[in-house]
Amino acid sequence: MNPALSAIVVFAYLAALVFVALRARVARDFDEFSVARRALPLALIFGSIAATYVGPAFSIGFVGRGFHSGFLFLCVGSAYAVQNILVGLLVAPRLRELKGCFTLGDAFGQKYGRKAQIIAGLISLGICTGFSAVMIKAGGVVLTDTFGLPTWLSVSLIAVITASYTTFGGLRASVITDAFHFALFAILLPVTLLCAMFFHFKGGPAAFSAEAPIATLNGLRSTPAIEIVGLTAAFLLGETLIPPYANLALASRTSKVSKNSFIIAGIFSILWFAVMTATGIMARCIVPSDTPEDHVLLELVRSLMPIGGYSLLLVALISIVLSSLDSLLNAGAVVFTEDIVKPLTALSDRTALLVGRRATIVIATVAAVCVPAVPSIIGGLLICYTVWASAILPAAIIGLWLKNPRPLAGVLSMGVGTLVAIIAIATVSTPDFETKTRVTIIPALGAALAAYLIGHRFGKIKAGA
Amino acid sequence: MQSIILILVLIAALLVVASGVWVAAALLRAIARPKTDPDSNSRTERRMDGRQQPDDSPHPRNLHE
Repeated sequence: MNPALSAIVVFAYLAALVFVALRARVARDFDEFSVARRALPLALIFGSIAATYVGPAFSIGFVGRGFHSGFLFLCVGSAYAVQNILVGLLVAPRLRELKGCFTLGDAFGQKYGRKAQIIAGLISLGICTGFSAVMIKAGGVVLTDTFGLPTWLSVSLIAVITASYTTFGGLRASVITDAFHFALFAILLPVTLLCAMFFHFKGGPAAFSAEAPIATLNGLRSTPAIEIVGLTAAFLLGETLIPPYANLALASRTSKVSKNSFIIAGIFSILWFAVMTATGIMARCIVPSDTPEDHVLLELVRSLMPIGGYSLLLVALISIVLSSLDSLLNAGAVVFTEDIVKPLTALSDRTALLVGRRATIVIATVAAVCVPAVPSIIGGLLICYTVWASAILPAAIIGLWLKNPRPLAGVLSMGVGTLVAIIAIATVSTPDFETKTRVTIIPALGAALAAYLIGHRFGKIKAGA
Repeated sequence: MQSIILILVLIAALLVVASGVWVAAALLRAIARPKTDPDSNSRTERRMDGRQQPDDSPHPRNLHE
């Protein structure tokens, strides 16, 4: 490929990104930095949720899965759509209705007390940093593969670019740039599919229709049932209400906007998975069958598209990474300020904004330093999913629905869930790490639920409730 | 059956593109507004929308739906 043309396309993309970020304006107070004054409309909240969850795994990863197992992963991925729709119907409106909430930790504070808020804040901060490290690694891989840059330089570029606009613009800048990224990849990638199907695919659409059931049957035969169950659980629970989504639920203009944006994002995820897996199925007749999963999309585009098209796809992939990373950095900074610093010391609004901005830079730096420790993109995501689902979800969801939840139940569930998840992951052996990590979510979640029930049985109601 | 799969995939691709266009339009509306002070911006927005902001929106300004 022509590096000069790629560099021009990437430069034009970065110039457009800077323009959009500047138009998003600098956040002037903590309310604007953390929840964008709760004034965000439906289309932007939906775009930001979808841009955040469509990371490397839901794009490059799903194309690779479609290549090997047809529409099997569309069925597994539908658990993710169900999760988003359930959050929209049952959780997001309740969260939005809580007064004075900036984070999920604030909701924990209101339901279980200050101690639970700080613990939830620490877990959220760790998860945001972990997810950020995975995203920086993914972005670094794309830049290194394309331009031949050293890994440290690619990683630094991704971290610095994203941290710069998130630090000054806060959630508003994150959401506005997410919308820009979403529009780019939601238009470019399906167009790639349609071009390939109608102009390049051997045998055209009819051959695609014939290939789809064959690939899906192959996938069903080669994937063990326990792995399908573990993956479905991970899709159903792993990303539920992670800090960026909780912040978006709280930043919506109304409870109705909060509810509808999650429901539409759930429906969109099905459409997206269909497009990505279909692209993978088409690749079966175009790229060699021994192509590694993570390289199927790049190989497909390289063999079909002119140089300009390949560069545009590169831009779409960078968009996918940055849109997930900026939301995670902002959510981590808000969580640190609101759930860890504020419960321990009184902060003026100006100081809170300053702490939030500095926290964004520190989280980006720590995440970039942790990149070498990330086992792989999918492996890193699975670790984060397992810890988050077992540590936070039982206490968060039950707490939002119970009138008088017991503080002991919340603290016990978070503590046991985190501990069991970390032990389960640590005991997984290095060979087949990804396959085995997929099922660790089940015992960890079971332990957290049991701990919650014990805490609820023996704990006292929060003072003043 | 095979043609149904094809039609469903085509519909999915077109709907994804339509979502991208919808969000792009919202983005353009959000960044195209003139830079004014927050209060006058809020008044302008209310005049343009011709409707009141909902009760649970404590700071109704900045972005157009």
